[in-house]
Amino acid sequence: MEEGLMIVEGICVVIAVYCAIRAVFEPKTLKKLPYLNVMNFAVAGSIVLLMPYPLTICAAVAYFIGSTLESNAIASTFARLEEK
Amino acid sequence: MIDLIPAIPLAAVICLLLFTALDIFWKLPQKGGVSGADVIGKELENSGGDKNGGWMIGNIISSPDASAGTLLAACGYYVWGIWGALISIVLVYIGARICADKGFAGTSGAVCAALIIWALTSFAGFPPESFIAGCVIAIFLVEGISPKHASRLLGKIWRKVS
Repeated sequence: MEEGLMIVEGICVVIAVYCAIRAVFEPKTLKKLPYLNVMNFAVAGSIVLLMPYPLTICAAVAYFIGSTLESNAIASTFARLEEK
Repeated sequence: MIDLIPAIPLAAVICLLLFTALDIFWKLPQKGGVSGADVIGKELENSGGDKNGGWMIGNIISSPDASAGTLLAACGYYVWGIWGALISIVLVYIGARICADKGFAGTSGAVCAALIIWALTSFAGFPPESFIAGCVIAIFLVEGISPKHASRLLGKIWRKVS
């Protein structure tokens, strides 16, 4: 791997791991979601950096959209629970 | 040609300004939008943050907004130049529809980011991968350090602009 790529990949991985750890130690589920969102950004970025092929764009977008959809589902379930 | 190390912080600032401006332009802090964004905003408000800033963070989390568009356009441009950026724009548009988002924040973010990245890589010599790291750092500054304080700052900006 090229040195410049290593730096960029390193930034993504460090941010992903840091946010994953913060999400684990955050007790409230709704407050975990911002950290998980940052982690998803970093993981989508590192997918593309690790596999620089045109098809990878689809993989990264699918991963990212899927994770936003999940966060949305978790948060709206909480909204429905609060209504009850 | 700019070296990678000074290019990354510059790209982070450009991405941060770009997606904050676009999200405020599309009025994301105004209301909760989808129910998930609403409940995240209220949770941030209960823990000492700001309601409008909280709604904006909620909207960033629960639908692909301008920040997602910026990151995915940067990824597309890195892999396959302007064609990759075009593919990401189309996919972000489809993704926003999947997430039941009626707005165009994500798509416009991807279009603006593609144009800015194209201009800066062709004429200012930025390496395209610096925008991937820059966008990850920018979103980390907004949500990863302290969502509570970030929501207060975003709420302040929103009230000043609106």
